[in-house]
Amino acid sequence: MGASLMEVKRRIVSTKKTGQITGAMQVVSTAKLSQIQRHTQSYQIYASKIRSVITHLAQSHLLDAKAGNAKQSSEDGSSKFSGFDMLQKRPVKKSGYLIITSDRGLVGSYNSNVIKQSLDLMKQNGCTVDNTVIIAVGGTGADFFKNRGYDVAYEHRGVSDIPTFIEVREIVRSMVTMYNSEVYDELFVCYNHFVNSLQSDFHSEQMLPISEVNLDTDSEGIEVPNAMGNEDYDMEPSGYAILEVVLPQFAESLVYGAILDAKTAEHASSSTAMKSATDNAKDIISSLELTYNRARQSAITTEITEITGATAALE
Amino acid sequence: MAEDSVLTVSIVTPDGSVYENEARMLIVKTPSGEMGILPNHIPVIASLDIDAVRIKVSDNKEDEIAVSGGFVEFSKNVATIVANAAECQADIDENRAQAAKARAEQMISKAKETNNTNELKRSEIALRRAINRIKISKH
Repeated sequence: MGASLMEVKRRIVSTKKTGQITGAMQVVSTAKLSQIQRHTQSYQIYASKIRSVITHLAQSHLLDAKAGNAKQSSEDGSSKFSGFDMLQKRPVKKSGYLIITSDRGLVGSYNSNVIKQSLDLMKQNGCTVDNTVIIAVGGTGADFFKNRGYDVAYEHRGVSDIPTFIEVREIVRSMVTMYNSEVYDELFVCYNHFVNSLQSDFHSEQMLPISEVNLDTDSEGIEVPNAMGNEDYDMEPSGYAILEVVLPQFAESLVYGAILDAKTAEHASSSTAMKSATDNAKDIISSLELTYNRARQSAITTEITEITGATAALE
Repeated sequence: MAEDSVLTVSIVTPDGSVYENEARMLIVKTPSGEMGILPNHIPVIASLDIDAVRIKVSDNKEDEIAVSGGFVEFSKNVATIVANAAECQADIDENRAQAAKARAEQMISKAKETNNTNELKRSEIALRRAINRIKISKH
């Protein structure tokens, strides 16, 4: 009996320690979550500004006209780093998928959710191992797709907890370069969209080529200000020149937004997972304590019986 | 024009708002030259060069901010500069900028050797950014 008592006690102690760790991790994730949410707010201002200028330019039908021109200019064989290439639609030979996962585990169903839904999306679009190029942000996704023989053209690990724009820029740049050098002919971004701290939804959108459709759809709940549409702006030096500046900036901001959103969801998911782990630890401890007390009591009862038995024998 | 008319200047980057103030005049550098915006200017959108944005707060006070490209949008006396990166004079780390400059110069010579035009263009932009920062921090 004594040995089992000790064992139960040891298990209680170790579960308590695990609970303490998961509790601390939950606090950390919650802190990160509120930090990144503050950061996202300031990013939203920037995103909505770019969006409003782009929609304004789109309304003046610059995009259609320029998409045609870009086709011609790229036939000249110039492979310059230009914004207009992003508008140009090509017959799709290969599809690119940017899949944002986390680097580490302990985030509940976050990673498996993204990967599963991305695979579903690929199946829907008729993409197989041969005509798909994966761009992975986060180690879990990179490993997963590599193991299944997908072509992982670019992987980025170690996105910081609150990603800054400069970090993300490198990713965006290589994405656009790969698009221009025809590594893929369309690009989808797949990530978990943060709904609230208990829920996140899978989101996927087509990012390249930039079309009128993804300008109009209001993807991340950014409200598209209509105030600009009615105003007549002077363009300096010209509408096209501005478009050339704004389009790459728009693409960059889209990817940055996706990564921020995914990171927010990751923190939320990790905080929820850690909370349920802590709760489970508490449950286990209380049931173990019950077992412990029961065992202790029965040990005492046995002892008393023995003592009374012994005194009875002496008399 | 009213005597006390001012315009509001705000500079936003993906990492948040960098600058927000009322000003008498805003001077930006576009690819086709410098452009001054006074209060009650007509609505305008202009793309920006990698250069300083000067904001006249009062007659004898002027703020200078380094921006790396982007564009300015002005309407109803509110000017919004949307840029990838922007730094106020006080925030610039001159040593870092010098290091970035040296790095960019190195990259340029390397890119020239290997005839990598894409890389060359990128490093040239990086160099311009570094020089811009150094220039502003010295004022």
